[in-house]
Amino acid sequence: MNRSILAPIALLLGVFASFSPLLAGVAEQVSTANNDLLSGHPLDALARYRTLLSDPVYLKEGSPELWYNRGLAEEKTGDIAAASLSFRRALLLDPGFAPAQHQLATVLATLGLPVPRDWKLGVYAIVLPERLMIVGSTVGWIGILLFVVLIFHGPRKKGLILLSLFLLIAGHGSAIFGSLIDPRRTAVDQAVVIAKSAPTMRSTPADNGSPGGTLTPGSVISVLSRNGAWWYVSAGPGQIGWIPSDTVTTLVPTAPSGVPAKGS
Amino acid sequence: MIADLFRYRGLPLVAFFLVATTAHLCADVAVTSELSQTDVAVGEMVELRVSVSGAQGAEVPQELPVEGLQIRLTGQSSQVQMVNFKVSSSVIYTYAILPMRTGSFIIPSVPVAAGGRQFRTQSLRLQVHDRPASAPSAGSSYIPAPQVIPQPGVAQQQVRIPTRAQQPAPASGRLTFGEIDCPKKSLYAGEVVPVEIRFYFDARFPVQVRGKVDFGSEGVLIERFQDPKESREEVAGVLYNVLTFKTLLSAIKPGEIDIPPAKLDSQIQLPGAMPPGFDDPIFRQMMGGQSPFTQTKEIAVKTEPLHLDILQIPKEGRPGSFAGAVGQFYIDSLVQNPRPAPGDPITLSVKIGGKGNFKGMGAPVLTGTDGWRSYPPTDNFKETDALSLSGVRGFDYTLIAQQPKQSTPGVEFSYFDPSTAKYVTITSKPIPVDASPGTAVSPAQANTAVPEVTPGGSSETKEKVKEGEPLSDLSLHSWKSPIHRAGFLAVTIVMIVITAGLAGFLYWRDLEARGGTPASRRRRRLAELRSILDAEGSDAAALYDAAVEYAGLIAPPSEKRDSVVTSLTKRRDLLKYGVGGSRPVASSERQELLQTIKTLELSK
Repeated sequence: MNRSILAPIALLLGVFASFSPLLAGVAEQVSTANNDLLSGHPLDALARYRTLLSDPVYLKEGSPELWYNRGLAEEKTGDIAAASLSFRRALLLDPGFAPAQHQLATVLATLGLPVPRDWKLGVYAIVLPERLMIVGSTVGWIGILLFVVLIFHGPRKKGLILLSLFLLIAGHGSAIFGSLIDPRRTAVDQAVVIAKSAPTMRSTPADNGSPGGTLTPGSVISVLSRNGAWWYVSAGPGQIGWIPSDTVTTLVPTAPSGVPAKGS
Repeated sequence: MIADLFRYRGLPLVAFFLVATTAHLCADVAVTSELSQTDVAVGEMVELRVSVSGAQGAEVPQELPVEGLQIRLTGQSSQVQMVNFKVSSSVIYTYAILPMRTGSFIIPSVPVAAGGRQFRTQSLRLQVHDRPASAPSAGSSYIPAPQVIPQPGVAQQQVRIPTRAQQPAPASGRLTFGEIDCPKKSLYAGEVVPVEIRFYFDARFPVQVRGKVDFGSEGVLIERFQDPKESREEVAGVLYNVLTFKTLLSAIKPGEIDIPPAKLDSQIQLPGAMPPGFDDPIFRQMMGGQSPFTQTKEIAVKTEPLHLDILQIPKEGRPGSFAGAVGQFYIDSLVQNPRPAPGDPITLSVKIGGKGNFKGMGAPVLTGTDGWRSYPPTDNFKETDALSLSGVRGFDYTLIAQQPKQSTPGVEFSYFDPSTAKYVTITSKPIPVDASPGTAVSPAQANTAVPEVTPGGSSETKEKVKEGEPLSDLSLHSWKSPIHRAGFLAVTIVMIVITAGLAGFLYWRDLEARGGTPASRRRRRLAELRSILDAEGSDAAALYDAAVEYAGLIAPPSEKRDSVVTSLTKRRDLLKYGVGGSRPVASSERQELLQTIKTLELSK
């Protein structure tokens, strides 16, 4: 009997062991990169952070702390626009990440861009949108199930039915609210200008297209469509045009490695 | 017939004049030759003119073979001279000579067949150098060669009859040349001076410029050339098309620098020789004495080399705020938001205007920055002339107050003025502002009042970190919102299915508890009643009770059903409350009852 129990445990340990060196390696590399950054070698640190962010561990998920560290390294190397992108990514993963909010405000001020002051920041400081959605959905479904049982089977007590309706509305209302304030919901079509000099928007996807204004490095734009090396973007009401795709990077990493293909 | 001709008055006079003139024209044929220049540079075109007087035409060779020279016949023109009513004519054949190398050349005598006789011109000497001998005007005069047969008489009146008006022939001056203008030959390292380069092309010949201006040398920085300005200019009587290029030049290190000539590659279309089959004199006469064919000549137009003496900027007296600016400048500054919200940054915009090396200058220095946190400035440049020699360069400093501040830092900027050879320091005074540190989320406060911040207000991690320090504890978050994740959607669908299943199950159970649906209850009741009707031994009252209920259920409300139900009810009541209700009905009556029920069933 003992053997029958030990066998699956050994299998699980084996599977875990196959992943543990990777995780241990990540922690070690993070520590080394952090030491590089603290000892005044931001370029070395940046190279390590880039390597880490290309790790399959971060294939589908990202680490706000790692993007924050990378932003610090980019800020120290003088690539302020790239640093703003990294801090924005950290905040995309964890909107309530105060150090990233802090550093983003600093680099945006350096770039001459307005510092975002949104009521959502106050909400993020209390609860994350993801938690709102998951907890809210759970509570909402509990309310639904309770309501169903009470209607079809239960004693049909008014107080219990009202309680179930409250759980249903409050839970799913919170989930919908969390979904609405989740920055990831709209981040898919957003990009950040990472060019060090302000790129010019053009009326046609060609170098000789008539210019329609410039985009400040570090600013966020909406990508409306993509045509090869040119993207059709909107920088605000009436500010629409084509820009070279190598001047911007999507807010959500698009490469399989979790690292944007360009500008990183 | 001849006698008839002489009947006309004056005709004998005309005949006499024609005979006399013809006799005179055929009398003396003279052949001379001359060069437009005897001293030229490689690539410069020279003209050889062979003049045949006393004849209306002559035969001359199309080309003259000379090693190092290209000599081709390019055209002919006719002249008629009248001296004291003595009319004579001459034909001038023009050869274009293109020197291919340096050296002293002998132009051979040219064989000329005119008036049935053979003549030869005298050979000529041509000296070819490796660089232009003199200004463009040089060589514009012809140097006539001695005549083979001296022409008697002096031309008092000369009438030139061009066979092809204004038809270009290779010029008497240079085809192309270049000039370079630099206002200063002695300048300081880092000083920017404008340079103008002009390329001249003989306006009579089509020119195609190929490539870009080749100009530069080690130790000097040449800005990108502006688009050239096109103009026309007459130099020593020759009209030239002129391409003028302008740029800025600056030297990197002190010392003497020789910049090679600026060069521009071009193609010039020159009149060419007649190909075989077209060198017939009649054809040439039809084409106005000129060749309709052209040849393309590749020419690299060059200027003179430029010699510069670069001086070292003095080290003595160099201010601490000097960052490479050379020229004459002024300073101005302003604050775009003098009353920011607590913790918000202000932007101090410093404008450096004037004339000089804007690209090589560093940023001004802030003074009195205590209580301020500053960041490296962003800069921009707006030129006020085409060469960007003059303009305004802006530096925007982001400043965040670390303590309540009533004025910005001051600004200091130093430059070297090459006109006075002295350093100059200009300053901008602090500007009044009202700035204060911010709250917890502001960068300013994070550095002073609250040196530590939590990694995330809602994050699990409560580790205290200092501003700007990297984090070691990593967490993983999805790039996708839950509503975009397959797992979340799958759980939601499962919950919908579970809820629907639970509701359905509970409803079914409740229904079962209440005997099922009305239809099912009706079906069950009909089946029960039918079994009573079909039973042989049922008593009469029970049979008619079942029949009344069955008739009411089996058919929808109608007049027929009501009449059947009424008759059945009457019979039932009679049996039930009269006699015979407890006995079975007679077989015939039972059959009649079933037949009535069947009719009702069929009528539904």
